[in-house]
Amino acid sequence: MKVQNHAGFSGPHLELIAASETASRAVPPLWPLASSVAVNPFLGQSGQSLAATSALLSRVAGVPATMPRAWYAARIESGAITDVDLDAALKAAADGPDSVSALRAAAAAPDGEITALPTVAALAARASGIDWPGLIEERIGAWAAGYFDEGQALWQVTPGRGAYQSWQIFASRDLTPEIAGLAGFAATVARMPDSARTALSEACDALGLAPGAAPTYFHQLLLGLGGWAQLARQKLWEAELAGGTTPVTSDLLTIRLIWEKALLLRYAPQIGAEWAEICAAHTAPVALSDVQIVPCILQDAAERGAQRALAATLLSAGETVAEGRPSLQAAFCIDVRSEVFRRALEQVDARVQTLGFAGFFGLTASHRAFASDVEERRLPVLLSPGVSSSAISADADATDLAAHLAARLAARTQRAWGRFKLAAVSSFAFVEATGPVYAGKLLRDALGTAQPPAPGARAPHLEGDLPLEAKVAAASKILHAMSLTDAFAPLVLIAGHGAGVVNNPHASALQCGACGGYSGDVNARLLAGLLNDAEVRRGLAVDGIDVPPDTVFLGALHDTTSDTITLFEGDARVSDGTLRYARDVLAAAGVLARGERALRLPRANADGATLVARGRDWSETRPEWALAGCCAFIAAPRSRTRGKALYGRAFLHDYDWTRDEGYGVLELILTAPVVVASWISLQYYGSVVAPDVFGGGNKLLHNVTGGIGVVEGNGGALRSGLPWQSVHDGHALAHDPLRMNVCIEAPEEAVTGILERHADVRALFDNRWMHLFLTDASGAMIARYSGDLTWEDMRAEAA
Amino acid sequence: MIYALPLLAPAILILGAVLIHRRPDVPPDVSPARNARLAEGAALLALAVAVVSMGILVALGAGDSWLLGLFGAGLSVRLDAVSAVMLLLVAFIGWIVVRYARTYLDGEARHAYFTIWLLGTLAAVLLLVQSGNLVQFIAAWIATSLCLHKLLLFYPERIAAQRAARKKFITARIGDAALTGAGILLVAAYGTTQISAILAAARLGEGGSLAVGAAAFLAFAAVLKSAQFPTHGWLTEVMEAPTPVSALLHAGVVNAGGFLLIRFADVMLVSPLTLAGLALIGGFTALFGGLVMLTQPAVKASLAWSTVAQMGFMILQCGLALFPLALLHIVAHSLYKAHAFLSSGGAVGRVAAIRRPGPVAVPSLANVGRAFALAIAIYGAVYVGTGALIGFGAKSPQAVALGAILIFGVAYLLAQGLADAAPRALTQRTALLSGVAAISYVALQRIAEWGTGAALPLTPPPGALEWALILLALLSFGLVALAQATLPLWSHHPAAQGLRIHLSNGLYINAVEDRLLRGWSLGAKSGKGETQ
Repeated sequence: MKVQNHAGFSGPHLELIAASETASRAVPPLWPLASSVAVNPFLGQSGQSLAATSALLSRVAGVPATMPRAWYAARIESGAITDVDLDAALKAAADGPDSVSALRAAAAAPDGEITALPTVAALAARASGIDWPGLIEERIGAWAAGYFDEGQALWQVTPGRGAYQSWQIFASRDLTPEIAGLAGFAATVARMPDSARTALSEACDALGLAPGAAPTYFHQLLLGLGGWAQLARQKLWEAELAGGTTPVTSDLLTIRLIWEKALLLRYAPQIGAEWAEICAAHTAPVALSDVQIVPCILQDAAERGAQRALAATLLSAGETVAEGRPSLQAAFCIDVRSEVFRRALEQVDARVQTLGFAGFFGLTASHRAFASDVEERRLPVLLSPGVSSSAISADADATDLAAHLAARLAARTQRAWGRFKLAAVSSFAFVEATGPVYAGKLLRDALGTAQPPAPGARAPHLEGDLPLEAKVAAASKILHAMSLTDAFAPLVLIAGHGAGVVNNPHASALQCGACGGYSGDVNARLLAGLLNDAEVRRGLAVDGIDVPPDTVFLGALHDTTSDTITLFEGDARVSDGTLRYARDVLAAAGVLARGERALRLPRANADGATLVARGRDWSETRPEWALAGCCAFIAAPRSRTRGKALYGRAFLHDYDWTRDEGYGVLELILTAPVVVASWISLQYYGSVVAPDVFGGGNKLLHNVTGGIGVVEGNGGALRSGLPWQSVHDGHALAHDPLRMNVCIEAPEEAVTGILERHADVRALFDNRWMHLFLTDASGAMIARYSGDLTWEDMRAEAA
Repeated sequence: MIYALPLLAPAILILGAVLIHRRPDVPPDVSPARNARLAEGAALLALAVAVVSMGILVALGAGDSWLLGLFGAGLSVRLDAVSAVMLLLVAFIGWIVVRYARTYLDGEARHAYFTIWLLGTLAAVLLLVQSGNLVQFIAAWIATSLCLHKLLLFYPERIAAQRAARKKFITARIGDAALTGAGILLVAAYGTTQISAILAAARLGEGGSLAVGAAAFLAFAAVLKSAQFPTHGWLTEVMEAPTPVSALLHAGVVNAGGFLLIRFADVMLVSPLTLAGLALIGGFTALFGGLVMLTQPAVKASLAWSTVAQMGFMILQCGLALFPLALLHIVAHSLYKAHAFLSSGGAVGRVAAIRRPGPVAVPSLANVGRAFALAIAIYGAVYVGTGALIGFGAKSPQAVALGAILIFGVAYLLAQGLADAAPRALTQRTALLSGVAAISYVALQRIAEWGTGAALPLTPPPGALEWALILLALLSFGLVALAQATLPLWSHHPAAQGLRIHLSNGLYINAVEDRLLRGWSLGAKSGKGETQ
């Protein structure tokens, strides 16, 4: 049976290897925390319905993909879900209780029992009384933390090895399993073949695993590895984006399988027979029952309730837009946090016009910060970088270069000092010489006087010789995509966003997701610079976009924690009066926005004044709510939503279909920002409904490992998703787990056509990972997408 | 009676805890805010008491309060440089931790529970460090670890937390027994429970073999308290409790072992053999912890191993009879480490910052050799310079050797700047920082010696045993310092990577302890196996 090369794999082995590749894609990727983005935890299941996914998760993780029934019952009780919603949800479901009253009764019933199929480790634990799953998690975590470490430990694991090879070196020397009672494990590992694929085949043979049982069993093992498997999945994602591949995820699976094999051999007499039954159970298709179906119908009903509320808000009386040239235009990221600020800004002065566009502003920039060699990918993770930029221009003068060198030197000195602080013997010298200084640092941080990192003072520059035509084409495309092609104000702000927080491992999760988990200042300033370029403007005029000579574009940064705006005034010449006006309206809007946000944040005073200092508090676990509460994506002209309070829960993308010839812009919106928004919405959803599997755990116990992620306490499993404190205020959920409603103002056939062309996007709507609606010029929701490229008219409902 | 004032500090904290206990969970929105205010207010008042106590010491000199109790048992205060410094340190870090927990734990169902036991632990430590009599000392010592136990089990359902707490509990109870034994022997030897009287008698060489036995028991208690090899296991798992608990350890909890030895320094000097044993254990723990720390990828684990190492260094200092330096170490390390734990959330940013200025310049063996020579030259210059300015003082060979060990550490900083690939400006910067570190270290050392001159005994001249220890320490720390400075040159050798694996597992002390204490056995309540 033993085979030495890939060509020699038998048929079943090839099937198992293929299953390991498939299982690698069943778990979601996890981005390292240095620049993390929200990920849809159900990414590997987007081709299945929620009920099917719930059944799958029940089998492999012992958790459903929906809330407990009591949560729905409470919403029925409170009136958030009405009989109309229940009835509609029932009608839309293929299977389920016969009547609304039966559904109500089902909501009041206790949750069905869910248990995952046990792994060999779980069976061994039962048979021996030793917590093998816990020990495996701890041991694999101990190795993986070293393997994936980006620089926390001074003495690193030798880089450049494959995951399986590195683990084999580790586990064949690690004595812990033997001390815990698994005699001979190190020797077993040492005897395993050098090739991970051969080892996988061998382990599967020892486990008696038929290819038919592999898909859910492999999925279970990878999911059980928590964030480590997901981090590996992200390496695979990156490799695939660059046109390559990496076996790291299936390597992790192989490692876990070798543990299973060793435990089966150790406990075969006690658990062998039961294990054979489990293998058979894995072969059976995942079956749906009322345990999954009823909560999924209730989930749909809850979402219909929320859609009713959304429809009412959209139909409410808005604000009419002032006639004439706007006094100020400000383009923000579509991020839901901008909605509060935009509404406040428009309220301060009716002549102000705001726009929403994905926060990377169409520039897929690979950026190097001042005095840094690191390429920061400030773009959506779905894309590859298109332009490169740097904080220091190619034709920098002597002063700039000197400053650059000085900053680098300071950074290197600091790094040398940091190593001095952390090395074996020098740490004693460090403590004895500088310990008392920390009394001052303790005082400074306890009183919250330390400032979060400020945005770079220097304007970014595009690098490389981008030809003028390319610049003009990019500028024209971006302005068209923003639906901003005429009626320019004297000052147009391009406002990226970021969050100024300290001592927060998840700080990047508060930054701009469209900028790859960095703050949006660089992209905003790059675009402003591009649009101020006189040559580019001449080119735009040829294209039919006349930017008045007195219009200036200016980059800005919206700090979402404090609702303050930094204007990068040095980047362009703006008249004093205009600048003063902008500062005034922005400051006034900040006050309004803080006041509104303070209502939701614990310990905030009524006028929101404490929000400004909140990011500086090193003990604050809830500096802001980020995108908690997000539930809608609206692509329509701002006039449809202006003055309507969406309370920071809607992504607002400016879109005017009448100006979108060929619906190219709409296609872009549906395939990029909508998909990113679905990742965000579903990350919140997953972190709330299955916090143990898809949530980031408890911030109070977070322990940053390798500079890339967090574990809880001393624990082995890396955590992905949102920490519990980010979705819960200690008394109630801060995010209602409802799938997002996408509202598009566009002709039906245009949307249908795009869905037809993009199977991935269509799957998200067909399987209800998002709900899709068409709206009209009054803001009314007129049609609901009911799957399979069909629409359900809603005008009759409303009437 | 003014010397009894420090008692107010623990009294205020206990009062705060009682008030919170009486109204732990009135309406959810009101009570946390009220309790948090109450707790921080109490902590601030305790800090004020500590400041005033220091003032009393400066104005009136050291002294004892009356005993509020009978037969030598009860509450009394010994106010001197040692207790005043510890009071200030514990109250300051205590306030910082209480203030931090105020926001950090907001929304936790058991916030009030946490605050109560946090205040309780701090009160116990404050009672300990000001103890004027043995009974109070022992009672406060025991109370500290019992209160801490409650905090370690803040999440009682966490199996890993139970594991850590059980290890700590067993270690602590053995330590309690050792300290109690020491107390009995001290009373038998000196016929009093009053600590200042015992110390005065011990300084005159009284006490005989009973005192030697007491010193041995004291040393044993200190080793257990300060997580010396091989009883360090619990400390490396303490991050199973919320972050402020890790910081709290540095407010006189884990370093109480060092405080114990400093407090009873006169007794410890009665037994040179015990001191030698402490030097060996401490020195080994320092190097062991330091090496393991290098391999740890998780920030809190790295900090915990660093604490193990630093506690070893503190015990080494005590073993070399350098008590004022050990006190300086407690203060310096506590402030640094409390800050490091509380700000450990910034580790993501710090690791990301490492890569920004490009690759690290690796020093060659020749560079490292130059760095060592330069470091010793800097030390010599600083030593001679300060000596010429403010007198050489009574420099013991032990202190000079310790200085040399620290200068080996500074050599690492220099080596990074001397690497061939490092720009000249970086060389200058690191050299400057090295000089500043050396001056700062010598200055702090002098301040510590000057400040505690009245309270602590002088380091006795070394005998043959002490000389052997000094040489061993110089040699072993020198070797490890050399190894650390040349780490990139050898750390990827297969043999070194094998060693790394064993070191990263802490040489399996925890694994063995888990086996012995059945740490991985499934309790009745664990259902973890089911969900895998």
